[in-house]
Amino acid sequence: MSLYPMYARPRSVEEAVGLLAGLSSGAVVVAGGQELMPAVNSGTLMPEVFIDVAGIEALRGIDFNEGVLSIGALTVHRELQGNALVGEHLPLLANSASQVGGGWQVHNRGTIGGNIVAMHPLYDIAPSLLALEVELEIADESGVRTTAFADVLTDTRHGLGSDSLLVRVLARPQPSGSCWGYQKFKSTGGAYGSANAAAIVQLDGQSLSAVRLVVGAAAEKLEVIDLSHIVGKPWSEDVGRTIEAACREAISQPLSDQQGDAEWRRAMAGVVARRAVQQAINSQREEGAA
Amino acid sequence: MEDLLHMSALIQLRIDGELHELEVLPNATLLDVLRDEVGKKGTHMGCRTGHCGACTVMIDGKVAKSCITLAASLPRATITTIEGLQQDGEMGPIQQAFWDEAGLQCGYCAPGILLSTAELLADNHQPSAAEVDQALAGNLCRCTGYQSIKRAVHSACVRMYPDQETGIEEG
Ligand SMILES: Cc1cc2nc3c(=O)[nH]c(=O)nc-3n(C[C@@H](O)[C@@H](O)[C@H](O)COP(=O)(O)OP(=O)(O)OC[C@H]3O[C@@H](n4cnc5c(N)ncnc54)[C@H](O)[C@@H]3O)c2cc1C
Ligand code: FES
Ligand code: FES
Repeated sequence: MSLYPMYARPRSVEEAVGLLAGLSSGAVVVAGGQELMPAVNSGTLMPEVFIDVAGIEALRGIDFNEGVLSIGALTVHRELQGNALVGEHLPLLANSASQVGGGWQVHNRGTIGGNIVAMHPLYDIAPSLLALEVELEIADESGVRTTAFADVLTDTRHGLGSDSLLVRVLARPQPSGSCWGYQKFKSTGGAYGSANAAAIVQLDGQSLSAVRLVVGAAAEKLEVIDLSHIVGKPWSEDVGRTIEAACREAISQPLSDQQGDAEWRRAMAGVVARRAVQQAINSQREEGAA
Repeated sequence: MEDLLHMSALIQLRIDGELHELEVLPNATLLDVLRDEVGKKGTHMGCRTGHCGACTVMIDGKVAKSCITLAASLPRATITTIEGLQQDGEMGPIQQAFWDEAGLQCGYCAPGILLSTAELLADNHQPSAAEVDQALAGNLCRCTGYQSIKRAVHSACVRMYPDQETGIEEG
């Protein structure tokens, strides 16, 4: 192995996982580079081999087959915002991609795959993907496996394992008749939220018949908030307060960083969660009124 | 496996209309290649973290921050830098609009802001004020307070599409 970094541009998934298996931990997969390159520039990351996966066709494109949307790992945030299939079946994902910071420049190059694998607690896409209960198609030398997104969420960043390649994201459409909300609360003019929440809500008349709520950016790990105790109730301020309390309780180890200190983060987690559920319900009412 | 590993990459970039064949190191950024290999000093370096947007160029018509773009990952691409916005040696309409409206003071951010404006106005002939904000969200300016920049985007739009009403309120 050379002292200088090396470059590889595999043409297929097989070539890429072969490289990953043959190389030691010094190899990194590069997709859009929007997460890696700042670290390379600052010298905190010094890869021995850059494995550029942009030439692998199997990682591209969005299609809808037998009720499943299959999104290539190289799909950039801008495509998630503008793609008709994503807009129709996964509006929550399209909206959270539009709330990624860094501007069009980052939206034009940052990929869904890089966003997932980075597993950065402040990132925007993961809360929606967990709310949507997506599955991931992951390849390594032994083949391709399909795993629930929830099962690869670990508390270490970069949690896929260094010999694996994320190939596609598989999602079922948001349930028909459901509504959704995504809230990102920023305390500064910077890119990242201090607390994010994604909600998918189903209503039966006025009452909440199902709520799937995920809170991010408030703790190292995403939290799925158990709201079984509000199911069957109509929306009220009291229900809102119950959601806030459930979040405060679930976030037992809040982050404390530039985005805000721990106690405040825990409080904001509750606020964004309540707002996301409220946003979902309001959108349904507006649709009903229209 | 060894035959897949390279010490450098050969890339073909059409930069502001001119074709360049370049051999780049695996960790070289597009910013460094543009400034140091090709002499495109109009592309500015402000942070190398992806936050300021001064290094913005267009890759195949889409803006990107060249400081966080791996040059090797562009085997063939068309690049537009600020220098590519001129027309026949004169300032192009976007440049002229920023000049006339004082859309820059020190000018450090300008290369990036003008390219973000160029991508916006390429497909949107009637951007709203909110759409302008969205298009410029990845570019920081420490001098102007942004108001003259928004006037300049409006003015550029009027120059490029004189027959259209723009949605941007005049400042
Ligand atoms: C200024 C700025 C602001 C930002 N703001 C936000 C924000 O507000 N919200 C947000 O969510 N994100 C934000 N980002 C992060 C942005 O980098 C991610 O959103 C982007 O999706 C990363 O994708 P990428 O393809 O560029 O990743 P890369 O940098 O290429 O890769 C990231 C990680 O994933 C690995 N990887 C990539 N693809 C694969 C794959 N297919 N299989 C296995 N491993 C893989 C890489 O090895 C690396 O470890 C911001 C970035 C910048 C520069
Ligand atoms: S120099 Fe590239 S974003 Fe600042
Ligand atoms: S004019 Fe000085 S930074 Fe924008």
